[in-house]
Amino acid sequence: MADVIQPPKDSFQSRIKARYFATRRDTVITVVFAALVAWVLWSLIDWALLNATFAPNAGDICREDLHGGACWSVVSTRWRIVLFGLYPFEEQWRSAIACAVMVAVAVLSCVPWFWSAKRLAPLWVVGFAVFYILMRGGFFGLTEVTEQNWGGLSLTIFIFSGTSLLGMPLAIIFALLRRSKLPWIARTMALVIDTIRSLPLLSIMFTFAIVLPFVLPDGLTGDKLYRVIIGYALFFACYQAEIIRGGMQALPAGQEEAAKALGLGYWHRIGYIVLPQAFRNALPPTINQFVITVKETSLVTIIGFFDVMASGRAASGTAEWNFAVIEMYVFVGLIFLVFVFSLSRYGAYLERRLGVGKR
Amino acid sequence: MPEPAIRIAQMHKYYGAFHALKDINLEIAKGEKVVICGPSGSGKSTLIRCVNRLEEHQAGDIVVMGTPLDDNVDNIDEIRREAGMVFQNFNLFPHMTVLENCMLAPVLTRKIDRSEAEKTAMQYLERVKIPEQAHKYPGELSGGQQQRVAIARALCMAPEIMLFDEPTSALDPEMISEVLDVMVGLAEEGMTMVCVTHEMGFARRVADRVIFMAEGEIIEQGAPDQFFDNPKNERTKLFLSQIVTH
Repeated sequence: MADVIQPPKDSFQSRIKARYFATRRDTVITVVFAALVAWVLWSLIDWALLNATFAPNAGDICREDLHGGACWSVVSTRWRIVLFGLYPFEEQWRSAIACAVMVAVAVLSCVPWFWSAKRLAPLWVVGFAVFYILMRGGFFGLTEVTEQNWGGLSLTIFIFSGTSLLGMPLAIIFALLRRSKLPWIARTMALVIDTIRSLPLLSIMFTFAIVLPFVLPDGLTGDKLYRVIIGYALFFACYQAEIIRGGMQALPAGQEEAAKALGLGYWHRIGYIVLPQAFRNALPPTINQFVITVKETSLVTIIGFFDVMASGRAASGTAEWNFAVIEMYVFVGLIFLVFVFSLSRYGAYLERRLGVGKR
Repeated sequence: MPEPAIRIAQMHKYYGAFHALKDINLEIAKGEKVVICGPSGSGKSTLIRCVNRLEEHQAGDIVVMGTPLDDNVDNIDEIRREAGMVFQNFNLFPHMTVLENCMLAPVLTRKIDRSEAEKTAMQYLERVKIPEQAHKYPGELSGGQQQRVAIARALCMAPEIMLFDEPTSALDPEMISEVLDVMVGLAEEGMTMVCVTHEMGFARRVADRVIFMAEGEIIEQGAPDQFFDNPKNERTKLFLSQIVTH
């Protein structure tokens, strides 16, 4: 047997030279950009760390600070307002635990072991129940806190998970109806999807928050918060339905035919053959849709809820902190970054994992 | 006379205004092996796809194993369970392992428990000589291996009839014989088989009857010896000369 011939290996130095210093022009570009990056990084470190003020309640020091460093004091003073909004101060531990429970449930449902309706459903039911009991109170000697006073990060997380959990099954139903063999069902669904997609999210939120109570009988209105979540879910479902439909259309016709030829009924074909592959095909746009949804939750501020974004911005409305706008936005931005970035990384993991069986 | 496995009477199929199958009358006895051949576009695939309602016929009757093929979904599913089908492009489920492909339908439709279904699946995978591939995904197998898995998957439903829709047409030449060997073995065990194929060697060897179709009609049929050596219709002669001369 002949020896296996290895491709020649480049040394680290030769690779660097080939990529960044191959010609005189490359060298110039590399040097200029390296200098630029170094300058930006240094300015950032200088502002955010070296010249910054970290101690709480140091607004006066920040104002007199001539170096112009970041005033993280606004964050260390007001972080509880950002995370918990208008939630009563002494009860904020409840909001913190509720938030942690929700995040834990979300993380657990990302673990492959939980990927079946039998395990996911109880997990989320228990998660929401614990969240509600802790947040709302009124049971077990917990003082009652109405939805109007929920706020900050736990509100953002609640709206996001409520929207996804309601929106995803709805999206699947919409996508299936849109594909119905009966033309009037398919066309009606298409019309509904196109109509809702052509409306701005804001107008849908206003409709659900403010207009709906006039239309619905009193017993059915529920709290504004839940109506808004339903509005979000409907909006989410219309976009996600089209994403799922795209994933279904990418399937070769032979897949459904093979399932039919084996005698599998409609729901078996959908549940075992069509949807699993459609979701696989549609994974990148699905993650995209979730990311957009996380960020869109901050629109609830407009109808009077203090989500994490609004409670952060509230700082700039106070006389004490009206100068520290950037610092607060950076802090809130970092919170969003943690969630959205984890979501993106999880999406990348899923793509790798599900890619196993693919050609 | 016993009830035939498949009975097709005065059947017509249209695609819009196009008359794809014209007055098809055909009875296939239990245990019979029938090869359907003909030029492309002659309706041979459409014909066997009508038998398990992958295509809908517009007139006439189809009865499979005593069950009439009508708009009753239960009847359709019953027929599909009794008639296994093998496709030109294999159509394995790419997101499931070979074993899962074979177990899915028996577990879901026949309500067999998983360990039993797994035993059956392994037995058929051994039959098609690839038990060692059971835990691989279809994408990791060659075309010939995939088609053998597709045959095993259909057999796991314990069908009375096997329909083959050009099972070797998408294969590289060196893989055709491994698939044909499996099909010959199946024929020798007495399976009722309807094969749309251009493999005339296979037809001569196992078929009880060869059917020639053109333009949506059955033009000629007969035992292989008579069909190949002494065809009567001009179109049959032309077709045979075309496939033999290259």
